[in-house]
Amino acid sequence: MKSNTNTLSPKKVSMKDFGLILVFIALVVILAIVSGGTFVTPRNLLNVVKQTAINGILAMGMTFVIISGDIDLSVGSTVALTGVIATMFAHPAADGAANGQYPFIVPILLALLVGALVGALNGVGIAYGSIPAFIVTLGSMTIVRGLALIISGGSPIFDVTPAFESIASIQVGGVVPILAVYLIIIVAICAFILGKTVFGRRIYAIGGNATAASVSGINVRKLRVIVFTIAGLLAGLCGLLVASRTITGSPTAGQSYEMDAIAAAVIGGVSMSGGSGKWYGVVIGALMLAVISNGLDIMSVNSNFQLIIKGLIIIFAVLLDIKGKGKRS
Amino acid sequence: MSEYILEMNHIMKSFPGVQVLNDVTLQVRPGEVHALMGENGAGKSTLMKILMGIYSADAGEIVLDGQKITCKNPRDAMEHGIAMIHQELNPILDMQVFENVFIGREKRTKLGLVDKAGMLRETRALLADLNIDIPSDAYMRDLSVAQCQLIEIVKAISLNARVVVMDEPTSAITEHEVDTLFTQIRRLKAENVAIIYISHKMDEIFEICDTITVLRDGQFIGTNPAAGMTSDQLIRMMVGRDITEVFPKADAEIGGPILEVKNISMGKRVKNVSFELRTGEVLGIAGLVGAGRSELVETIFGIRRKSSGEVFIRGQKVNIHSPKDAIANKIALITEDRKFTGLNLVGSVEQNITLVHLSQLFKNGLINGGKEKEVSTHYIDELSIKTPTRQTLVGNLSGGNQQKVVLAKWLLTEPDIIILDEPTRGIDVGAKRDIYLLIGEMVKNGKAVIVISSEIPEVMGLADRIIVMSEGRLTGEVGRPDFSQERIMTYAAQFGE
Amino acid sequence: MKKRLLSMLLVGAMAMSLAACGGDTAGKDADQKPAAGDTADTAGSSQKNYKIALCMSHQTNEFTTAVGKGAKEKAAELGVTVEVFDGKQDQATQINQIETAINQGYDGILVEPISADGIVPAVKSANEAKVPVITVVQQMKNQDTMAASYCGGDEAAASKLEMQKAVDAIGGKGNIVIIYGPMGSDAQLKRKAGYDEILAQNPDVTVVYQETANWVTEEALTLMENWLSTGKEINAVVSQNDSMAMGALKAIEDAGKQADIPVFGLDAVSDAVKAVADGRLAGTVSQDAPGQGALGVETMVKVLNGEDVEPINYTECVWVNKDNVADYQ
Repeated sequence: MKSNTNTLSPKKVSMKDFGLILVFIALVVILAIVSGGTFVTPRNLLNVVKQTAINGILAMGMTFVIISGDIDLSVGSTVALTGVIATMFAHPAADGAANGQYPFIVPILLALLVGALVGALNGVGIAYGSIPAFIVTLGSMTIVRGLALIISGGSPIFDVTPAFESIASIQVGGVVPILAVYLIIIVAICAFILGKTVFGRRIYAIGGNATAASVSGINVRKLRVIVFTIAGLLAGLCGLLVASRTITGSPTAGQSYEMDAIAAAVIGGVSMSGGSGKWYGVVIGALMLAVISNGLDIMSVNSNFQLIIKGLIIIFAVLLDIKGKGKRS
Repeated sequence: MSEYILEMNHIMKSFPGVQVLNDVTLQVRPGEVHALMGENGAGKSTLMKILMGIYSADAGEIVLDGQKITCKNPRDAMEHGIAMIHQELNPILDMQVFENVFIGREKRTKLGLVDKAGMLRETRALLADLNIDIPSDAYMRDLSVAQCQLIEIVKAISLNARVVVMDEPTSAITEHEVDTLFTQIRRLKAENVAIIYISHKMDEIFEICDTITVLRDGQFIGTNPAAGMTSDQLIRMMVGRDITEVFPKADAEIGGPILEVKNISMGKRVKNVSFELRTGEVLGIAGLVGAGRSELVETIFGIRRKSSGEVFIRGQKVNIHSPKDAIANKIALITEDRKFTGLNLVGSVEQNITLVHLSQLFKNGLINGGKEKEVSTHYIDELSIKTPTRQTLVGNLSGGNQQKVVLAKWLLTEPDIIILDEPTRGIDVGAKRDIYLLIGEMVKNGKAVIVISSEIPEVMGLADRIIVMSEGRLTGEVGRPDFSQERIMTYAAQFGE
Repeated sequence: MKKRLLSMLLVGAMAMSLAACGGDTAGKDADQKPAAGDTADTAGSSQKNYKIALCMSHQTNEFTTAVGKGAKEKAAELGVTVEVFDGKQDQATQINQIETAINQGYDGILVEPISADGIVPAVKSANEAKVPVITVVQQMKNQDTMAASYCGGDEAAASKLEMQKAVDAIGGKGNIVIIYGPMGSDAQLKRKAGYDEILAQNPDVTVVYQETANWVTEEALTLMENWLSTGKEINAVVSQNDSMAMGALKAIEDAGKQADIPVFGLDAVSDAVKAVADGRLAGTVSQDAPGQGALGVETMVKVLNGEDVEPINYTECVWVNKDNVADYQ
């Protein structure tokens, strides 16, 4: 009884992903035609990548969480909290000079640290308290929002150093928006972790079957905490970027950002039941959302219709995903 | 009028790239138990799915009672009086027995509300009629697997089914429960119901079946009366060659003790168990379902926390608090339920094989695709895992091949002590044999093996020594020369104390 | 194969829906292109078909939609084009939209800043691209240097007017409650400042409760029910907008206390105006929402024509009560 393993190399892009790319291309082509070409100007395309950045980065964090079989509803609130904290430590010095009250690095580190801390606490509650992620992060979503409002005294925090403002606004080589650069770096790191490392592989394993992973000697709890910490860290980064971009630490920022991040992941083919999903799908998902809102804005489609179109695309994308899977088995 | 109640004639079915059924014919008489045999992948499930309307055939016809029928979905099939009792039952655990019996066709009162009283009454009558001692308002959650199966049979009867398909009905129930099941099957038979019975267990086939149809690789091999056939003939038909020994016992040299378990307890499930295991030895653990065998090995492996006791490996005391510790001590555990605790069904064959050993394989934490391919391909070949590619999702493989993937992932860690909990449950003859041979290989290489099995002939065939458990305690130990089914059963049924 | 076909159809369906939604405006865009291009060479002539973006904070209540409607009507009258962008109450989104408008070659941008500070980076980009910006409804930080003008209501005047009417109604003495908009929002802060100025002049008026209901009718209803249930004497309710005033009014009517507790609103939205006419609501302040949009467009066209404009253009601020309500229905 010899096995009939063939030597076919694994398909890099499956049928399902192909469908997704098809939808994406169709969207871009339609927008290009309908907008009379203004959509596909290099300037606007760069603009789209820039507008993808915040949701794209959040979606990468969300991808880790969803692949591991969980969900994180708290990232939107974390964006607000870390934005508020970063802004509070980014005020210009009293003497009016360009340098801040604290060194440039302080607000950056604080935003990342606080974000990671929120994520780690979520992870501890989920992994060691055995409370479902939906519940824990639903709770932390409101707790963190409350903290953001308390710390900020309920009002947006203003007044930041020019250096802080430049974090999200400078253009590399005078052309490429820095936000796009951040997005590319984060995506590259996440793609590497998910695809090439033992750690990444184990995230898929616990999402596919946590019990089997545990029996296989994987410390599932520790891994969960790390996964949520990553999501929190990236939310902290987004908080920093939003604060810099709007030069405001708004306690009400980031409302429903978690939903857009989940949408990007789901459109990109990440299975809500865990264990499967590819980084490039998520990137396309995030780009698609940005393209939709940018394209529809360009075409002056009423914002209420935009909501409907966005919703339809999410559902169709998942339908495509399911049909694709049905076809393969 | 034909003598057959059901005929499936010249059925063809292909999936992209594979011909799964090629001109298969199945003819079933009323009032007979008709065994459908074949290795996993032979096409039995596909044929039954076509019968139930889950798949549609590419060609061929289904004739019921002389009438050609087409079933587009299981509901159509049910309306034609064809019912299926699936291998893996999926009862809705929070439902009561009567709800489950009437699911999808709930009785209504005149007002259109659910007629709970009516359903309860009818279910109670059915249960009484069949001598089944289960309250009609019990929750499915509280029933055993065997009881759930009986409820499925009740459901089939209440549908006035004329053809009942049973897919491995005894794979997860105890011997005593098998008797109850067979009583019900005989009753159905007496009422002229035809039963299509799928099982890998030879003794059952010869005990209960009248006619046997064998499929192999999607081809129809033959239909014969069960009487007058020997199990060797049957196996030959199924695998297409002779299998001389059912349990090939390897000659391995038994060495010194490698694992010593002293007075280990785990809550009320495992009570003060001590035993030792030697290199080159196969130790069988026998007992009834629920005797605490799985709990014992899971405690040793660190999945469960022991309440007292000590474990020594090569004379050294070891502290195992998690599977990770067990793996570090070169122990492997192939768990009882491969779907829930053994495999990531949405992961690829390769990802499953390398999972346990990942951090050893890639010490710097980075996965080297080439090396991973090399390792996984090696094990796919070595264990003859039938899979289209190493990237195929494990969930798409047959049971036997899935089990081999579990074995591969543990063999990769090069363990010294290998514990197999029900390693051959629900897998076909060929794959079973491969696993038996593999166990032989292991002990020949000086490893020590523990096998838990509910099939006493299997433990007797494989083990050098058998320990028997009952109600969490060790109740007996038997050496190979003294093996007898009666003796083991006596120990296994030793209750109380 | 069937499934494949289905996927294709889905893509097609989505494409159609997009095209359908954007179709009509696209036609207009195409027509305008040459017109917009002409602007440069024929500069100085009186009237062009300018393309103006109106970036609103959101489009989910009567006030903001009325501003948009007023702007569109004025645009039709002047023969220019106005497209409304919905910022969805998210500063980062609004910045995206302003950048999109700049890239899409809009001649001028009218913006209702979601946050006075947060809008600064986007307006800076517009300034760099030499696209004039006029703030509507709300002013921005550095209004004088960055924006060409402000067109809208006078929040201080309106809120002072409302509070003064409430104080007069209770004879300059008694207990009042205040319902705020989202804490820290610019409108909330400005209107509160107006209230505080009047309250400082009337030491006998005690504010017994004050809380936010986030501009939402339902939240105000709950809030008012809670306050009523305490049994504390309340002589008047001052709400920062009409939607919340209507919620409070409902709670008071449910409790049968409409004769004892007059409710004061602001914005003069249609159901509030109707309530005034019915004698249920004591009164509201009209800041002429459609007028704010119209004024914005009018002023922008002047700016684009190179005419001088006032830095601040207030719309009329009128107290609407049962005496003059007929004019506002």
